[in-house]
Amino acid sequence: MEIKLLSEHYDKPEFQGLDGYKKLGGYEPLKKAFQMQPKAIIEMVKESGLRGRGGAGFPTGVKWGFLPDNGEPRYLLCNADEGEPGTFKDRLMMERAPHQLIEGMIISAFAVGSHKGYIYIRGEYNEPTAILQKAIAEAYDAGLLGKNILGSGFDFDLDVYQGAGAYICGEETGMISSLEGKKGQPKLKPPFPAVQGYLGKPTIVNNVETLAAVKYIIRDGADGYRKHGTEKSAGTKLFSVSGNVMKPGTYEVPLGYKLMDLINIECGGLKPGRKLKAVIPGGSSAPVLTAAECADATMDYENLAQKGTMLGSGAVIIIDDTNCMVDMLKVILHFYHHESCGQCTPCREGTGWLHKIVSSIYSGTGRLQDIDLIQQVADHMAGKTICALSDAAAMPAVSFVQKFRSEFEFYVREGRSKVKGAVDAQV
Amino acid sequence: MPKCKINGQEVEVEAGTTIIEAFKKLDSEIAHYCYHPGLSVAGVCRLCMVEIEGNPRLQIACNTVVQDGMVINNNSEKVKETVKWGLDFHLINHPLDCPICDQAGECELQIQYMKFGQYDPEMAEPKVKKNKVVDLGSKIVLDSERCILCSRCVRFTEEVSKTNELGIFNRGDRSEIGTFDGKPLENDYAVNTVDICPVGALTSKDFRFRQRVWYLKNKETVCPGCSTGCNVKSYYNEEGLFRVKPRQNDEVNGYWMCDKGRDTYKFVNKENRLLEPKVGQSGQWDSQEVDGVMSVMSTKIDDAVKSAGSDKVALVLTGQYTSEEYASMLSYFVGHLKSKNVYHWVNNPESFDEFDGLLLRGDRNPNTKGLLNGLDQHGITAPWSDLETKLNAGDIEVLLVAGPEDPSVFPTLTEKVSLFSKAKNLFWMSAAKTEAADSATTKTWQIPLKTYAEKEGTFVNHKGIEQKIQPMVNIVDCAQTLSEVASALSGQKVDHLGSLVKDRKTNHFINHHGGGL
Ligand SMILES: Cc1cc2nc3c(=O)[nH]c(=O)nc-3n(C[C@H](O)[C@H](O)[C@H](O)COP(=O)(O)O)c2cc1C
Ligand code: SF4
Ligand code: SF4
Ligand code: SF4
Ligand code: FES
Repeated sequence: MEIKLLSEHYDKPEFQGLDGYKKLGGYEPLKKAFQMQPKAIIEMVKESGLRGRGGAGFPTGVKWGFLPDNGEPRYLLCNADEGEPGTFKDRLMMERAPHQLIEGMIISAFAVGSHKGYIYIRGEYNEPTAILQKAIAEAYDAGLLGKNILGSGFDFDLDVYQGAGAYICGEETGMISSLEGKKGQPKLKPPFPAVQGYLGKPTIVNNVETLAAVKYIIRDGADGYRKHGTEKSAGTKLFSVSGNVMKPGTYEVPLGYKLMDLINIECGGLKPGRKLKAVIPGGSSAPVLTAAECADATMDYENLAQKGTMLGSGAVIIIDDTNCMVDMLKVILHFYHHESCGQCTPCREGTGWLHKIVSSIYSGTGRLQDIDLIQQVADHMAGKTICALSDAAAMPAVSFVQKFRSEFEFYVREGRSKVKGAVDAQV
Repeated sequence: MPKCKINGQEVEVEAGTTIIEAFKKLDSEIAHYCYHPGLSVAGVCRLCMVEIEGNPRLQIACNTVVQDGMVINNNSEKVKETVKWGLDFHLINHPLDCPICDQAGECELQIQYMKFGQYDPEMAEPKVKKNKVVDLGSKIVLDSERCILCSRCVRFTEEVSKTNELGIFNRGDRSEIGTFDGKPLENDYAVNTVDICPVGALTSKDFRFRQRVWYLKNKETVCPGCSTGCNVKSYYNEEGLFRVKPRQNDEVNGYWMCDKGRDTYKFVNKENRLLEPKVGQSGQWDSQEVDGVMSVMSTKIDDAVKSAGSDKVALVLTGQYTSEEYASMLSYFVGHLKSKNVYHWVNNPESFDEFDGLLLRGDRNPNTKGLLNGLDQHGITAPWSDLETKLNAGDIEVLLVAGPEDPSVFPTLTEKVSLFSKAKNLFWMSAAKTEAADSATTKTWQIPLKTYAEKEGTFVNHKGIEQKIQPMVNIVDCAQTLSEVASALSGQKVDHLGSLVKDRKTNHFINHHGGGL
């Protein structure tokens, strides 16, 4: 069953504007937060069990605690780059509930002691950008941003910065480089952003959904928030479901929800006559699950990790039996090949190499040894680079080849897809 | 100070030392392309992988600081396999250019391949095509297919020359080095990028296609281009010198040298040299033998001293010679002739005190300090204007000039030769063949001298650091050193090693094993 916190009022057009938002309880949690000590908010967020919704799932309160107490200015950056293929939940929130993000950011900024924030938004998101800018202007007019917010004595300025469409600018240090006006490529760690981030200053980067969730933690308390979800995966999560289901879309369910229920109940099941073949549960970089593995999968950090995959950004891609896995992997690898920033040799060369190998197979010129080569190349790309893009390319490659090896072998031997009805290779 | 263990060997390092530096301290091998001790850490080649006990993930040595008690290795199968693959990733799109590549023989890719590789390539697909002969400016050519994107060159222009010409354009395996719009790679230190480029992607226009590096020998010496005295290696064969590269010396030049200094090999070579002694004036010259000229010089000096006193003889010295040569000449002049008629020819007074903030100094002589020390020691203080007055009054019978070794740093050469022509007899000693000297209008003997590449001796740099040069080639058989001239004139062996220099700081750079990439 859906439990709607973040998405409760998505279907009400007035929720987009400040007045409508306030009528529906907006900015009340902010007032509550201002009555609290910043440290107490951080504690509350820690207790709530909130984990980052951008992909890595790092405990948010713990991350905030890494900020050094050195009197330097701190920055709060909202990651609205939403580049992971299959992910579109942040977009929907920014379009339907921009004030929810703004409120979450003000509370978070107050908690971490930041007076300047940016929303780094994906280059293609023109409409959400305009909506956010309008909402920010409204918030400034209403004294919710700027100096002495609501008489609390707390100052916070917020801007929207539109990227240029590179996936790598969603990686937090790539985003920081881009925001600094440099080429958007990740920075070597250490130092980590919490210590030395934007302009060399302590910086917190959080996903849109993470920051918005903070509002509900304040509203409902840590225990109230923990009521949803599981022990290790607290709260609700927005899932972007795409692919071969009757009703693709964004659904908010408690963490720990059954994958098959998400597919069959929320999404209306598969198209008639189709059979489930596989699911990518957390964006294109998450290892794929076979239909059999899906049967008892639950949508939370621990269960998916146990199955060798991850919750990632919560982008669930449903693959039915009309899809060719060679074709799918080729499309995925094309993406990572195109998006690698190119700094690290294993990623720069490996993404291109993998893409070429799978393209060879797809065009009918593959060799049987290429199937093992995919695995070897991917193995040496993973965990060896500055950022996780290299892993993001390697993980699907390994899992596709391991779990659907017969499709790859058939393709190599026959020069065509094993899947009837799949588009034939066009060289 | 934290202690760690590297491949079983214990080592103590200063706090903040990175693992790669600790490896270097132990002289222990570790593969790396992007790390350069003179630049910031990029951590992009991912070759310097090490295993640290207790950490399941391999770490890069260049960005990991040694912690007390760390147990580190880079010889486990896990690391070796990773390095082998790291190399493979560098090679899959690398062109098979070695037979026509200038870097062959000193290429880090070749070296690594011989150590870790030696297998058939795995990639069956076509390689990425990139731009091949990209003109980056007047000095450097880029081959993007050979580039391994280590970013050393970019970091150099950002951090050392601070000229920011270079960037990496595009991304992924389409990335290429390039210059920003309308700004070629044109600065006084640009060719250092060629040195630090681990492969044949950046090549020097001056050197490319001229020699296979394995046919060249090299010796450590000191750049004679200015008073900084950068430590360098000169590359040569029996035909002459071909190029100069910097050597590390933290006290003098760090890892770098300027591009002007790189041209200092050219004047050594035959085409620019005075090949034999000659006598004449105003463009009319006859060949001479060295012995003959020496005995004429000796006679002329003796006659002048006997008839009119040692005041009629004068010596002009430039900062282009070794301290030992100054000692010989001065001891001949002051001790033997009892003359203090010695003058310091400052070749470019207008820009003499300039400094570009990095290395290059306006004093474009290697040993002005050595000369000044010598003059000082003999109490010689006569200003240049004295010489001018005497010459204009026709008071100089015999003038000895130790002129330029590198005429390009003597902007007023012709003017000066016409001043010197006011002496009755001019003995012009120089390694260089110049039109200026040939235009002398008094009776002149030209005597070929040896260059810094043909003799040993000491240069004292602007800081007072003594540095040795050593002979490596013999370009002009009959060329002399000033010491040889002095000993011929005095009829005795002159002590070459007078303790000339005050406050001497010794720099044992000859045995210095710094360097590295
Ligand atoms: C290649 C790559 C792309 C990423 N793209 C995004 C993104 O589009 N949005 C996002 O929120 N996080 C993205 N991340 C994760 C961020 O680096 C970072 O972990 C996250 O923004 C932290 O916020 P959170 O703790 O709230 O999840 C990406 C990571 C990688 C390695
Ligand atoms: S892993 Fe890939 S995308 Fe990430 S920094 Fe390295 S080259 Fe760039
Ligand atoms: S040109 Fe040479 S120094 Fe510059 S990035 Fe390429 S390989 Fe490195
Ligand atoms: S700075 Fe001076 S000594 Fe150094 S390379 Fe240049 S000319 Fe030679
Ligand atoms: S030398 Fe360490 S990553 Fe290149």
